Amino acid sequence: MKNILKLRWPTRNGFPPLWCLIALGLTIGMSFFFAPAAEISAVRLLSSFPRMIEFCGKIIVVPDWSYLPDLGGKMLETMEMTFLATSIAVGISLPLSILAAKNTSPHPCVFHATRSLLSFMRALPELVWALVFVSAVGLGPLPGVMALAFVTVGFMAKFFAEAIEVVDPKPVEGVAAHGAGWLHIRTFAHLPQAWPDFISTVMYILDHNLRAATVLGLVGAGGIGYDMIMSMRLFDYNRLILIALSIYVVVTLLDRASDVFRKRVT
Amino acid sequence: MSHIIVNRIEKQFPNGVQALRGVSMEIAAGSFTVLIGPSGAGKSTLLRMLNGLELPSSGTVSIEGQTLGPRVMQRIRAKTGMIFQHFNLVGRLSVMTNVLTGRLSHRSWIGSVLYLFHERDLKIAHHALERVGITEKAWERADRLSGGQQQRVGVARALAQGPRLILADEPVASLDPVAGEEIMRLLRKICDQDGITVLVSLHQVALAKRYADRIIGLNAGKIVFDGAPKALEHDVLNHIYRNQKAIGNEEHFEAQMAYA
Repeated sequence: MKNILKLRWPTRNGFPPLWCLIALGLTIGMSFFFAPAAEISAVRLLSSFPRMIEFCGKIIVVPDWSYLPDLGGKMLETMEMTFLATSIAVGISLPLSILAAKNTSPHPCVFHATRSLLSFMRALPELVWALVFVSAVGLGPLPGVMALAFVTVGFMAKFFAEAIEVVDPKPVEGVAAHGAGWLHIRTFAHLPQAWPDFISTVMYILDHNLRAATVLGLVGAGGIGYDMIMSMRLFDYNRLILIALSIYVVVTLLDRASDVFRKRVT
Repeated sequence: MSHIIVNRIEKQFPNGVQALRGVSMEIAAGSFTVLIGPSGAGKSTLLRMLNGLELPSSGTVSIEGQTLGPRVMQRIRAKTGMIFQHFNLVGRLSVMTNVLTGRLSHRSWIGSVLYLFHERDLKIAHHALERVGITEKAWERADRLSGGQQQRVGVARALAQGPRLILADEPVASLDPVAGEEIMRLLRKICDQDGITVLVSLHQVALAKRYADRIIGLNAGKIVFDGAPKALEHDVLNHIYRNQKAIGNEEHFEAQMAYA
C-alpha cells in the first residue's frame, strides 16, 4: 500500500536520467564558478536587498500628473519617429527584398550582394547607428528616425525576402506562361502570395521599433528616452513611473491592434 | 499552314530521366489536337516545351515560323495561353485580377506594377469571364471558388490574352466528370469560333475521341500513334498504353480501357 504512493520518475529504475543530472550539475556549477567574474556574491546580493526595497519604495510613488501634457507630446514624438522610420523602411525593403530572395533575384551575384548589405545594416543595434547619425546630422529626432529606418531595412528586407522564397511556384508559372514580364511576374504572382507574411513582419517590427525608439533618446536622438534618462539622473521618480507606465500602455495597445489587424488580413 | 513545328526534340532532365526521345510533329493552325499516353510518357514535357517552360536538350520548336529561344520567348508566350491541371491561379487575388494577368503581356510595366489597367483591358477580361460563364464571381477571391470554377477562370485568363494557341496540360485531371466535360466543350468551342489552335493532353481516351480532330499517342517519350480519333482502335490503344514495364501498369491499362 505504501509502495503505491511512493513518488518516482518515469524511467526504468525510477531515478532521473543521467544526462539530466549532469546538465543540471553543470549549470549550477558554472554559475557559481563564474559568479565572481560578474561581481556577484551572496554577501552582496543579501546586503543590497534592503536598498532594493528602498528603491522600490521610492519608485512606487504618486505620479507627477502635471507632467502629463509634456509626456504626451514626447510620447507622440516617439510614436511619430516609429511610424515614420517603419514606413520609410517598408518603401526601401520592398524592392530590396525582391533582389534578396533566391527565386526573384535577377542574378545570384545580386542576391549575395543584397544579402551582405542587409547583414551589414543590422550588424549593429539602433543605438549605435543613432550615435553615428547624431554626430553626422546633430541632435533631435531626425538622426533617430534615420538610425531606426536603417536597421529596420536590414531586418525587414530579410524577412520579406524569406516570405517571397516560400511562395507557391505554381501560380508564378501560371502568370509567366502568359507572357508577363519580369516585373509583372513579381508584382502579380510573388508579392500577393507573400502579403500575409509581409503584414505580420511589419506589425512585429512596428512593435519592436516603438520599444527601440524609447531608448534612442539616451544618445540624444529624440523621443521619450531623453526624458527618461534625465528623470532617472535627477531621481525624479514621480515622472519616471509615468514614463514607464505610458510606454507599457502604448506597447500593449499596439500589440492588441496588430493582433486584430493580422486576423483580418490572412 | 503549320502553326507548330517540332523537330526531333530530346529532353533529359538533370535527374537523368529521359522524358522525350526524338519527337517530331507538325500541328495545323486552328486544329484541336489531343495528346494521350500513360503517365510519364512525356505529354506534359512536350506541351511545356511549346511555350518554353521547359527547354529541349536538343532539337528545335518553332511557333508560327519563329524558333523558340530566350530572345523570342516572351513574344511567343504573349500569343500562347496555357491551362494547367492545378489551375495555377494566384489564390489571394480576385478572379478579375487573375484574368487580367492574361493581359499583362500587352501592358507596359509602369502602370501595372501599381495594379492599374486600361478600361479596355477590363472589358476584355469581363468578356472572357462571360464566355466561360462566371461573371458573377468576378470580384471574389480566386481560392474561394470550386475546382471547376477555378479551371474556368484559367480558361478565361488564357482567352483574355487574345492568344493564337492554347496549351492545356491535363486540364480536367483534377475535376469531376461533369466539370471536365464542360471544360472540354469550352475549349472545343474556343477552337471552332476563334480559330485558335488548341493542344490538350488528356488521360481520358473517351474525351479525346469525342473532342479531338487529331490524336497523338505518346509512350516512353516517343510518338507511337498519330491519326484521326476514328483510327484509334482497341489494339492501337493497347499499343499506346501497354509496352510499359512499370509495375502495376496492368491495372492502369484496364482503367484506360474502361474509359475507352
